[in-house]
Amino acid sequence: MLSPNPSGIARDRTLRGVAVLAATAFAIWPFTDNTSARLVSVQALPEAAMCAWEPDGTGIPSDLDVTPDQLVSLARERSQQASLFAALRQGLQQRNLFAAVQRGRETVIPALVEIARAPVRTIRDTYPQYTAIAVNLQTDEVILQDINLWSTRVFNRLDDTPASAQFLEPKRIIQGPDTHIQFNNGLYVDPQNGDIYSVEADTGDRMVVFGRNAEGNVEPKRILVTPHRVYNIAVDEVKQELFVTREYPPEVVVYRKEASGNEEPLRMLQGHNTGLEYPHGLAVDSKNQLLYVNNWGMTDQPALPGSGRFNPPSISVYPLDVAGDTPPLRVIQGDRTRLNWPGAMAVDPETGELYVANDVDHSILVFSRSMNGNVAPARVIKGAKTGLVNPTGVFLDTMHQELWVSNLGTPSATVYPLKANGDVAPLRTIRSAPLGFQSLTLGKSQALAYDSTRQQILTPN
Amino acid sequence: MNHPQIAAFARLAKENEPPLRKLEGQKTLLSRTMHDLAYDAIHDEIVVTSPFAQAILTFRGGASGEEPPIRVIQGPRTRIVEARALDAVAIDPVNNEIYLATSAENILVFPREANGDVEPIRVIGGRDSPVGSRSRMRIDPVRNWLVVSDPRGVLVFDRTATGNARPRAVIPGPRTGYEQFALSPTGLLITHREGIIEAWDLEEGLRLFENARGDEQPVFRPSWRITAQIPESHQTGGSGITLNPAENEILTSIAARNHIWTFVVPEAFQQEGALNTAAR
Repeated sequence: MLSPNPSGIARDRTLRGVAVLAATAFAIWPFTDNTSARLVSVQALPEAAMCAWEPDGTGIPSDLDVTPDQLVSLARERSQQASLFAALRQGLQQRNLFAAVQRGRETVIPALVEIARAPVRTIRDTYPQYTAIAVNLQTDEVILQDINLWSTRVFNRLDDTPASAQFLEPKRIIQGPDTHIQFNNGLYVDPQNGDIYSVEADTGDRMVVFGRNAEGNVEPKRILVTPHRVYNIAVDEVKQELFVTREYPPEVVVYRKEASGNEEPLRMLQGHNTGLEYPHGLAVDSKNQLLYVNNWGMTDQPALPGSGRFNPPSISVYPLDVAGDTPPLRVIQGDRTRLNWPGAMAVDPETGELYVANDVDHSILVFSRSMNGNVAPARVIKGAKTGLVNPTGVFLDTMHQELWVSNLGTPSATVYPLKANGDVAPLRTIRSAPLGFQSLTLGKSQALAYDSTRQQILTPN
Repeated sequence: MNHPQIAAFARLAKENEPPLRKLEGQKTLLSRTMHDLAYDAIHDEIVVTSPFAQAILTFRGGASGEEPPIRVIQGPRTRIVEARALDAVAIDPVNNEIYLATSAENILVFPREANGDVEPIRVIGGRDSPVGSRSRMRIDPVRNWLVVSDPRGVLVFDRTATGNARPRAVIPGPRTGYEQFALSPTGLLITHREGIIEAWDLEEGLRLFENARGDEQPVFRPSWRITAQIPESHQTGGSGITLNPAENEILTSIAARNHIWTFVVPEAFQQEGALNTAAR
């Protein structure tokens, strides 16, 4: 810090010294409240910026031995030109953001005021948020996909969380930077070897595969590079083909089941005639050679201005080997379908019935194999007893004749009889948060706005 | 993103407190990839894009549940086009305008109350207007600035710029990129990147760069920097920021962590003092 000595100094140099001190004082004044601010240094203002001080009748001797502050007080008190200093002081206040580093006589770089500050509040969900579910029938394990904490969690199939329990701990968790799990959404478990396939919905753009006993921060045994915005995964075990939906641009991409690295897909379903409109869940019917894809209805031709449309949600049905810009065989669509942001789907290989996790309707819809057009589902599981809260994942356990559902709105998995209908209570519940807990359902809270009218923080997913 | 929503949390909400309300469901016309949104405090409205349907949605400020938007701008006359995702929108509640960046390398300006298939009232773009589809925008109606993010820093246009308009200045330094940034009423541009909050004096930036010759390289640094004391995490990516001047608060988010932090920074909103920013 510079220490000007006003004694015996010409008035213009005195003024500069006062300015320096003023800048210093103002720069450090706010930081006397236990912040860790660090003022780097102060620079004397360039001489060209200084006006000659010509007070009228101040009566202040030029060689008066006073401190800079005393000089300021005297000048302000006595001089009509004190306003000049006041203006200068205000300017310094406004600009003392630029306390500068002085090297020799040359101003080089404005210094930076640095503060370390802890938040006073944090909004977050400390519990998992389940987007998808699968069951390993060989090991009797339930696998759940957690998109909030970037993990995959494994429970026993027969687990049932007592109401008195805070929540149920998983028997294994796959989680950590080495796993490459991020924004994980779709899930598939190999019925033969128990491998766990995880696809993600955002920045990582990859599918990762783990062994059935994987635990902790482990590397996947295989990684496949996928397109951006993949939502869900299904596998045709007969042909050993792997299907993924891509939300936008709308596509279904088919790979070899064992594909890895940058392997090219076998084929793709894409194009304006496909009827794909912001696709999400998909299901493979290997027995009847059909592919089901549900759509949320947003559509456009990306390069064509103003081509965007909002259409009703739908389920499109294709031949299983569909490729290119091929229209669907039939479409289930209309208000009677009750579709409302449909998520994952699964087909009963025996009956051909299609089960749909119907997110915002808090329901499971079951459509018969031949359904077409604006038709009501054959069965609907919905109601207060069901425990369904924003279901987005389904799995059919045809061995035990059970239907599994993962609930995003409260971290739980609920299981029902395969033919359940109406407001039925689950047979068992795996709960990963206190009873009644409502998930924040934050999914990539990248933007913020403040509603000053209601004093609320707005954030979109 | 698998469950699009606009959630509204109480200002004092903390860990595990659910939102007071959520906009969600088919009738809202919301989709994922809402990387920006705006709250209009004058008219009590929320403005956001629907990225995959080439639309701008305006909701009632207190909208909740499966409530549809009150206005939708969409159609061929709008010139809205986006090949990747239409995810950046800004508003000027004082002058009643909505701004949208598109993949045609332009910025479309609509009247706030526009609805349906309407033409923009201004289009900014051209060889000399380096705006892009990922540009974030903010408007200062007092200084009549249109501030646009750029990989190099920020571009500052006159608010009423139109056509092939040159920016008043290309100001390097502020780390805006494709993330949100905030403008304070005293002309500070405040950015947030993964827990680092920086304030840049745009008036100073204009002074340095508006008339700089091509061979000049003025040095422009942030006025202050806050390093957020938050736990480290491997969940990184995507940063948001907004201001609550009434309570001297800066709110930030890191998308990958699904965290929203509130910092009290009175120094940033005081009329006097080293940080000297009296934000709205």
